[in-house]
Amino acid sequence: MTRYSLVGRLILLAAAWSAVLLFATGVGLSMVFHRAALDEFEAGLLEDIDSLYSGSQVGADAQLFAPAITDARATRAYSGKYWQLSELRPDGKLHPLNDQRSRSLFDQEISSPPDVAKELARQKGHIFFYPAAGPLHQKLWVGVREAKLEGYPRPVVFMVAQDRSHIDTDVRRFAFVTAAALLVLLVGLVLAIILQVRFGLRPLFGVGREIGEVRVGKRTRLSSNYPSEIEPLAHQVNALLDHNQEVVERQRTHVGNLAHALKTPISVMLAEARSTPGPLAEVVERQAGLMQGQVEHHLRRARAAARLTNSGERTSVAEVLDELAHALGRVFPDGVLDWDADDELSFSGERQDLQEMAGNLIENACKYRKRRVKVTAEATGPLRLRLTVEDDGPGLAEDAREAALKRGQRMDETMPGSGLGLAIVAELAAAYGGALALGESRMGGLKVDLELPRAG
Amino acid sequence: MRILLVEDDPDIARQLKGALADAGYAVDHAPDGEEAQFLGETEPYDAVVLDLGLPKVDGVSVLERWRREGMASPVLILTARGAWSEKVAGFDAGADDYLTKPFHTEELLARLRALVRRATGHSQPTLACGGLRLDPRAARATVNGEPVRLTSLEYRLLHYVMMHQGRVIGRTELVEHLYDQDFDRDSNTIEVFVGRLRKKIGPDRIETVRGLGYRLTPLPGEPA
Repeated sequence: MTRYSLVGRLILLAAAWSAVLLFATGVGLSMVFHRAALDEFEAGLLEDIDSLYSGSQVGADAQLFAPAITDARATRAYSGKYWQLSELRPDGKLHPLNDQRSRSLFDQEISSPPDVAKELARQKGHIFFYPAAGPLHQKLWVGVREAKLEGYPRPVVFMVAQDRSHIDTDVRRFAFVTAAALLVLLVGLVLAIILQVRFGLRPLFGVGREIGEVRVGKRTRLSSNYPSEIEPLAHQVNALLDHNQEVVERQRTHVGNLAHALKTPISVMLAEARSTPGPLAEVVERQAGLMQGQVEHHLRRARAAARLTNSGERTSVAEVLDELAHALGRVFPDGVLDWDADDELSFSGERQDLQEMAGNLIENACKYRKRRVKVTAEATGPLRLRLTVEDDGPGLAEDAREAALKRGQRMDETMPGSGLGLAIVAELAAAYGGALALGESRMGGLKVDLELPRAG
Repeated sequence: MRILLVEDDPDIARQLKGALADAGYAVDHAPDGEEAQFLGETEPYDAVVLDLGLPKVDGVSVLERWRREGMASPVLILTARGAWSEKVAGFDAGADDYLTKPFHTEELLARLRALVRRATGHSQPTLACGGLRLDPRAARATVNGEPVRLTSLEYRLLHYVMMHQGRVIGRTELVEHLYDQDFDRDSNTIEVFVGRLRKKIGPDRIETVRGLGYRLTPLPGEPA
């Protein structure tokens, strides 16, 4: 779990809080149970003391007689149930009265705490309880009450004790069962929390995935069906994307305007230099040529930047070829330009990019052809298409084909053109994940195969 | 041959005007879209060189309106914007060719020659009429292989009649195609030029059709 994992945080926090609450619940339940068990136990002792008190009689010679207790346990030795009558003497100590104790005590007596006199005085005749060790290491719970009996000179202390170990066992068992049940509950809760968090946060993961898709150009913006908490985020992200697109568009226009504005002065300088030969003219022509190269380069960069932010567009290949054939038919009227493409065939990308690629290729073919240029576009797969441009011109030797793809190379200095045509096509095709290949046409001239993404 | 040059940049306009005049064209210059619109609709040009980024009215709109009005002269677009999407828009508006700045002046001249030639239905770059030959690429004429020395107006006149050989060409038509708009036009001067030209290429090649104008034909016995 990383430090920033929301899922981890939510699960950890909820689990810890649940654990604390469940632990407190367990402790509380145990305490309540313990109290209830003890109360019931003490009620029995209270009753016994009451019967001892009410049944005791003082004889003529100030002899004290305890009543006969019918509880069988009080008669069995060390049974765990005991009673005993004592008198509180002025020395502050309890002195058990002879024979006034349960038979179960046999030769033992119920021990009393050292400060029992003080405690008895504080309770003023009310019963109180304290723990004591009994015979056979029994853990006794002792109820004590002081009372004055008519005709008896000293206060009489009634004591009833009972082995409380079964209560402790009950309490422990209860605590154990409760703890087990609560632990199961905790595990169940944590599982539920994990599920809830994972399911509840799923739209958040969706946002991340969609932003990733935007970055790689699979989609242009986030979808709109998000829960109300994430909707504002998606909305803001979309606004940011729009803004980004706008900025890129502005920059692109800016660079385009700047580049185009520079072309006219460069044109003037080049023409002027060419018309007045001399050393100065040579320098001007060379430098203006460099400027022109820079301008072309940055124009292409601006176009490429715009392409990254755009996607999802589909362009009909047949439409573009039709337009180009019409335009090039005007420039090169002598000859035949055949083209063939399925009406349904679409290029997955911007129209002007397909125009640029196909336009350059067909224009080249028209320049070099003897008579005929053939253009065919066909689907080569569900997501691929191939544009083939062939001519019946002289073609290119194998090593010249490679050189032709390099930037700025011109095959034939006598043919007009910037010489960047093929390089621009190759660059554009690469930006679309396509490819450009040169080969030999059966018509005799050059054959150019352009592989491009097809819109399904 | 008369050309309309539409270009707002004064330096390019000056350079092109010079180059076009040197190549034997009469040149009118329009520095903005409105003037270009007017000149294109009122004067019969043999070709137009049109810049797209123009003040007042942009080049594509000018071209579209010309074509709507039935203006048929070949138009070569000369612009800094060289993307194919922009070229296609230019051709859709009715352009016949497209050249991107920066350009070689020679290339512009070659394209213009081709445009004019195609517009008049000639497929060969060299014009011929019997033993008379004219090569617009070099602005040179020969008669039976002998070079003929021509002034620029004589050259224009010969070029135009050779482009339209076999057809009767009126004086007004000749005036319109030989002079730019600033020239003091007088159709009588045409007679003077035709006379001078006849002296240089032979008296019978340019025939006067009374009341109508002139016609260039091969001499009897010469192949066309």
